[in-house]
Amino acid sequence: MKKSISRRSFLKAVGALSAAGALAACGGSSTSTAASTASSAAPAASAEASGSAAANIKLWTYPIGGWGKDETVQEIIASFNAKYPDIKVTVEYLDYTNGDDQVNTAIEGGSAPDLIMEGPERLVANWGAKGVMAPLNDLWTDDAKKDIYESVESACKNDAGDYYEYPLCMTAHCMAVNMTKVKEVGADKYINTDTHTWSTDDFLATVDALYKGGYENVAAIYCSGQGGDQGTRAIINNMYGGTFTDAAHTKYTADSAENIKAIQTLHDADGINFDASINGGEEITLFRNGTLQMAFCWNIAQQLNTDNNDAGLTNSGDEIFPMAFPTASGDPKLCGGIWGFGIFNNGDDAKIEAAKTFIDFIAADPDQVGASVLASTYFPVRASVGDIYAGNEIMSEYSKFMNYLGDYYQITPGWATARTEWWNMLQRVGTGEDVTTAVKTFCDNANAAAAAEA
Amino acid sequence: MVIFLAAKTVKIEEPKRSSALVRQETIASYLFLLPSLIFFLGFVIYPMVLCVVTSFFDSTMNRADVFVGLANYKELFSDPVFIGALKNTFIIVIVSVPVTCAFSLWVSSAIVDLPEWATSLFRCVFYLPVVTGSVAVTVVWKWMYNNYYGIFNYLGKAVGLIDKNINWLGDEKYALGCIILILLTTSVGQPIVLYVSALGNVDQSIVEAAEVDGANDFQAFWKIKWPAIMPTTLYILVITTINSFQCFALIQLLTSGGPNHSTDTIMYYIYYTAFKLYRYGYGNAMGVVLAVIIAILSAVQFKLGNQDN
Repeated sequence: MKKSISRRSFLKAVGALSAAGALAACGGSSTSTAASTASSAAPAASAEASGSAAANIKLWTYPIGGWGKDETVQEIIASFNAKYPDIKVTVEYLDYTNGDDQVNTAIEGGSAPDLIMEGPERLVANWGAKGVMAPLNDLWTDDAKKDIYESVESACKNDAGDYYEYPLCMTAHCMAVNMTKVKEVGADKYINTDTHTWSTDDFLATVDALYKGGYENVAAIYCSGQGGDQGTRAIINNMYGGTFTDAAHTKYTADSAENIKAIQTLHDADGINFDASINGGEEITLFRNGTLQMAFCWNIAQQLNTDNNDAGLTNSGDEIFPMAFPTASGDPKLCGGIWGFGIFNNGDDAKIEAAKTFIDFIAADPDQVGASVLASTYFPVRASVGDIYAGNEIMSEYSKFMNYLGDYYQITPGWATARTEWWNMLQRVGTGEDVTTAVKTFCDNANAAAAAEA
Repeated sequence: MVIFLAAKTVKIEEPKRSSALVRQETIASYLFLLPSLIFFLGFVIYPMVLCVVTSFFDSTMNRADVFVGLANYKELFSDPVFIGALKNTFIIVIVSVPVTCAFSLWVSSAIVDLPEWATSLFRCVFYLPVVTGSVAVTVVWKWMYNNYYGIFNYLGKAVGLIDKNINWLGDEKYALGCIILILLTTSVGQPIVLYVSALGNVDQSIVEAAEVDGANDFQAFWKIKWPAIMPTTLYILVITTINSFQCFALIQLLTSGGPNHSTDTIMYYIYYTAFKLYRYGYGNAMGVVLAVIIAILSAVQFKLGNQDN
């Protein structure tokens, strides 16, 4: 008897296969885990020889100088693998627009990276405070504590003394002026080119000279979002000696008389726009293309940028001169950037150990740390690294700003809320709200968040 | 034609099937549905249920959720930012839905009788912003709106409409209008394609008969074409309403809800609350409220559309 497959049987078989396929797809993770385990079994033997357990770890990094460029990072990983061949490091690059969302989504989805490179405001004050980071106390040996600057060390730990960041590099955020235009309007007399400092009155006189010299848009208090907000905080805090938080980092103090006076002065100054349509990155673009004559969002990475012209020049070839923020006292306090590594506690001790091995090599190994810092284009956090920029005129000149580093207040509880409240406050001032009312609202909301997190 | 009529009038006796056969076919049908059903349950129903459940909790990162009952919902209606976002969302819907439908119908009516190549050309032109990535579209619009060197300011000053540059996206008087304008350009593509298709399917013999009876163009449109394309209109209304309620990418990429919350929408505020403030329960409560509003409006639209039919 001839047996044939009926149409109905065929369709049923296809349906069953489709269902099975869907179920298999849903259960894919366990399959791939098994494969991964099998494949990692082979290098385990060689791992013992090199003194490290075999592991695959994921590193996510924000664009911290050259640490945002794949070719640079791969070179560093190659150096690491020359010493630790059994630890495989895969890298993903984040940006400051969407990076936080990506990390938060990954944390909630149970797929956070093993390692992340950023600063204390995220590693300590945000994810560390939320308990998703692994403490790095064992990496902070007595020798490390002696070698790393004290102000950096204090920013890398929480109030309980647990370290959630192991730092690699640092810089001071400053501002910049278009020196060609400043000279053109005869305002260079207001600038101390040796110390890169100026008084608040001299700053305002320079703005006025540029404005009257035909430059309608001298500078912008950018506030479309939190990108580059350290610049707007610094200009406001420095002008008349205000502070952003108290010294103990427990509450926000932006409603002080000094800050109110600074915001009001900036708001009233001709040539300075409270611009809710741009952020820090866009301000830099406007400065580079000659639309603005000053930038409040600047650091050495910007000074070294050669995307559109040689380092230190605008797109049209004008000289860019980095400046400390103006002060009435002559003692600028610049916001610092401290960048290093944190480890997410994903519940896998082997990966945590592998990640610590990576950190120890990149940020503490005397033979490697200099190259790691150079890759960042910032400055070392360890005294022992010495002057890695000897002979580099731009870096040597910029190193003067490191003397002006102020308090690292970004670890104050409620920081994420404070950041968003800050640019919202500037927007309200820009749209005409009374400055005192606006900063009071900022402090009320930010301090409520700080109290909730403390 | 005769065969067609015969098929419609003669009752065809289907062979009786055994219950076992019916059961087998039913099982087979469900097996075919199963893959889609799994994805639907996993990626639509489960998140929806989770959203509703979470809205009753104070939920944040890496901490046990705390049951708060209706507290999140109570807070919503005393939160001025949420009320503002709700208002902005309704403005977007009220402006963009009728304008999108009317403009699409007008364009479609104008191009449907053109030569085929011209109709296709216009369809492509209007559909282009839909298939272009929203980031690319946004970047271009951001450049056009630029406070310092945008083309709108350049043209406005050149023709004497404005004296000095306007900060289109940085001024709360203009920002929401600018968002709506972009939304319109990205919303009309699909309705135009649908209307052109619907208008092409209207029975021309009925239109011609009406014209022979003395109906003018407006009467022919209003009495014959409009009822014929009503299902398409209903679909467009529902889809455009939902899309307008869910306006998010433009806000995130252009204004972040500013200046001074003047462009906040519920969708953006949900994102802001959940991803920036880590208040998952509160964000989910907003999501539930948004879903309820959309469901009610869609039901009303369907009801009105069916009455018209």
